[in-house]
Amino acid sequence: MVNIRLSTITVPKEPGPTLKKLPFDVKFIALLLISFVIGLVVGYAIFSPGLGGGAAPTPEKTVYNIGFTLPLSGELSSIGKIWEKVVQIAIEDLNSEAAAYGFNVEFRSVILDDATSDEKALQNVQSLYQQGIKVIIGPAASSQVKVVKSYADNNKIVIISPSSTSPTLAIPNDYIFRTVGSDAGQAKALSTLAYQEGARKLIVFFRNDEYGKAFADFLEQNFKEKGITVSKLPYQTGLSDYASEVATLASRVGSEGADSVILIAFDTDGANIISHAAESDVLSNVRWFISEGPHGAGELLTSTVGRFASRVRLYGTRPLYIGNPLYEDLFKRVKSRFGIELGVFCEHLYDAIKLAGWAILRAGEYDGEAIRNALVEVAKTYYGPSGWTMFDVAGDKAQQDYGVWAIVSTAEGYKFKDVGVFERGSIIFTEQAYP
Amino acid sequence: MIPGFTQTMVNFLQYIFFYTVFSLPLTLSYRTTKVINFVHANFITYGAYTAVFLHGVLGNSSIVIAAFLAFVIVGGMAVLDNLLVFTQLQKRGSSPAMVMISSMGLWIAYRYLLYVLTDIMHFYTSKNFVSYGRITYSDIPSISLAEFNLSQAFIASMVATILVVSSLYLILEKTRMGRAMRAISDNATLAEISGIPRNLVINLTWFLCGGITAVGGVLWTSFSGAITPEAGDSMILQVFTIGFIGGLASLLRTSIGAIIIAFMENIGIAFLNTYLGVPVSFRPFLTFIALLTTLILFPPLGAGGGLPYRFRKRGLSQ
Repeated sequence: MVNIRLSTITVPKEPGPTLKKLPFDVKFIALLLISFVIGLVVGYAIFSPGLGGGAAPTPEKTVYNIGFTLPLSGELSSIGKIWEKVVQIAIEDLNSEAAAYGFNVEFRSVILDDATSDEKALQNVQSLYQQGIKVIIGPAASSQVKVVKSYADNNKIVIISPSSTSPTLAIPNDYIFRTVGSDAGQAKALSTLAYQEGARKLIVFFRNDEYGKAFADFLEQNFKEKGITVSKLPYQTGLSDYASEVATLASRVGSEGADSVILIAFDTDGANIISHAAESDVLSNVRWFISEGPHGAGELLTSTVGRFASRVRLYGTRPLYIGNPLYEDLFKRVKSRFGIELGVFCEHLYDAIKLAGWAILRAGEYDGEAIRNALVEVAKTYYGPSGWTMFDVAGDKAQQDYGVWAIVSTAEGYKFKDVGVFERGSIIFTEQAYP
Repeated sequence: MIPGFTQTMVNFLQYIFFYTVFSLPLTLSYRTTKVINFVHANFITYGAYTAVFLHGVLGNSSIVIAAFLAFVIVGGMAVLDNLLVFTQLQKRGSSPAMVMISSMGLWIAYRYLLYVLTDIMHFYTSKNFVSYGRITYSDIPSISLAEFNLSQAFIASMVATILVVSSLYLILEKTRMGRAMRAISDNATLAEISGIPRNLVINLTWFLCGGITAVGGVLWTSFSGAITPEAGDSMILQVFTIGFIGGLASLLRTSIGAIIIAFMENIGIAFLNTYLGVPVSFRPFLTFIALLTTLILFPPLGAGGGLPYRFRKRGLSQ
C-alpha cells in the first residue's frame, strides 16, 4: 500500500516542478535559433553580390578557388598562424597582379585546418576536391604529404607543399610539388655547421616520423663521410610533454660523453624539449644544433630558452635565400600590417600561392593535368621571396640555399636572427649571434 | 643506477604532483555525480589558458593570482556544465552513457571555443596564443639542492599538491559538506531522503573539482615549454588511466595510480631504455598497457571495482 501511495504521489509530481525549474525555456530558445538561421539566409540573399540582383555594370569575373590545408592547430600551429597571414597577402598580391595584366579573374582562398594530423590532411584534400578544387597548397608536414599523395595522384589534384622536406618524397612525375628543397641539402648544411663548430661526438634527437627519420638518416650519412659516427635517439611525436624523453637524452649524453646534440623537431615539441633541456646541467653543457622546424615559433622566445640558447651557443639551419630584397619586402609588409615576424617557410608558401595562380592562368582551364604542366613552365621563370622557384625532375625546388639562425637578445626581448649562410660547402657567419 | 638518474627522479616526483592534482578531482566528481566527464581535459586547458591570457594580455606574473582566478572561472564553468547539460539530461532520464557522450560533445566544443578565444586575443595583441611558451612567475623561487635543480614548477606543484590533498582530506572527513558528499556518493537517494540538499552538494562538488583541476593547469604553464589549446587533451589518457586504477571511487587508490603511472613513464622507461634498449618512443604504450591491465583484471571500472559494480552486487544480493 505504502509503495503504491508513494509512487502515485511522486510520479505525477516529479515532472511538473522539474520542468518549471529549467533555467531557460526550451521552446523560446529553439524559436530564437530558428529565427536566427532564417535571418541569416534572408540577409545573405539580400546583401550577397551574386544573388542580390543589384545592377552589376562590370562583366562577371571568373573565380578560381585555391585550396589550403594548413596546420592552424597541432604541432605546427605556431608557424601555421603566421602562414594564415601570408596567404591573405599572397592572394591579394596575386589578384592585383592578375588585374594589372588585364585578366578579369579573381582568386579566392579556401582554408581548412588539418591540426598537423595526417588523417585530417587527407580529409581536407578530399573535401576540397569534392568542392571542385584542383590546386591545393599544403599540407605542411612530410608525413601528411605522404598520406595525401596517392589520392592526389589518382584524382589529378595538384598539391604544392611549401614545407615538406623529406627526401623520401622526391618522386618524379607525380602531382606533388614542393617549393622548398629536400632535406638531403639541409642535412649537408646542418652537418657542416655542427662539424665546423667543433662537434665530434653527436647524438641526433629526432621526431620518429617521416621528416625526422629521413633527416636523421641523411645526417648520419653526412657525418660518416667526415669519419664521425653519430648516435640516434628517436622520440614519439604528439605527446603533451617530453620531460621523460629529455631525461633519457641527458643520460645518453652523459653515458656516451657526447659534446653536441642535434635536434630535429617541429614547433611545440621543439619548444617543450628545449625548455626542459634548459633545466638539465648535462644538457646545458653541450652544444645544440637544430633543424628548421622550430624556427619562428614564439614559444622559443621565452627567457628560459633565450638564456639556454646563449649558454649552449644554439644554432639552427633553415632554407633561406639570404639577402633577397623580395624577402625583406615581404617581411616588412607582414610586420607592419599584422605586427608579426615571418617564420620558416613563409616565403616558400608565398611563392607556392603565386605559382599556383599563374599556372592556372597559363593553363587556361581549371584542370589538374593542364595546371600541373603549366606549373612546371611558370616556375622556370618565376623569382620570388624564396628565390628562383624552378623545379627539379622530382617536382622539388631545384636551387635551395640555406641560412643559419640563432636566438639573440635584443632590446625588445629575444628574437630569431639569420646570422650566417651555407655556401660552397662551408658555413659563413655574417654576424656574431652570441657574446 | 641509471645515468642522469637525478633528473629522472625529479621528473618522477614532478609527475606525481601533476597527476595527483589532475586525477583526484576526476575521481571525486565521478563518485559524487556519476558523470564520466571528458570536459575534465578542458578544465586543465582552461586553467592553463587563464594563466596564459593573464600573462600575455595583462602582463600578470603572479601564480597565486592566476591560480585563484583559474579556480573561480573553471569552477564556475563546471557548475554551468552541470546545470545546463548534465542535470538536464539526467532529469530527462538519459542513461549514464548518454551523459558521457554529451560530455564528449562539450569537450570538443570547449576546445574549439578556446581556439576562437586565442584568435580574438591574437587579433588584439598580435601575440601567438595557439602555442605559448613557458611562463616564469615572480612569486615562486627555484632552488638548487646539491645535484637537484628544483624548478619553479617543482616547488609550486609540490606546495599545491600538499594543499590539495590536505584540504580534500579536511573537507571530506571533517566538514558537514564533506560528509554530505560522501553520503551522496554512497547512496544518493538515501542521502536525499535524509535531508541532504543533493543539487547544492553536487554543484559544490563540480565547483571544487573544476577549480582544483584548473589550478593544475596553471601549474602546467610553469612546466611545459609549449602550452596549446590541446594541452589537457593529450593528457587525458594518463589522467583517466589513473582514475580507473582508483576505480573512479577511491581517492587513496587514485593517488597510488598517480605514483604508478608517473613511475612507469619516467623511471620505468629510463630503465627499459638503458638496460633493455627499448626505444623512448615506447613510453605512451606503457600507459596503454596499464589501462588495459586495469580494465581487464578489475572490471568494470578499474582496480577499485567502481561504484556501479558495488551497487550491482548489492542489488543482486537483495
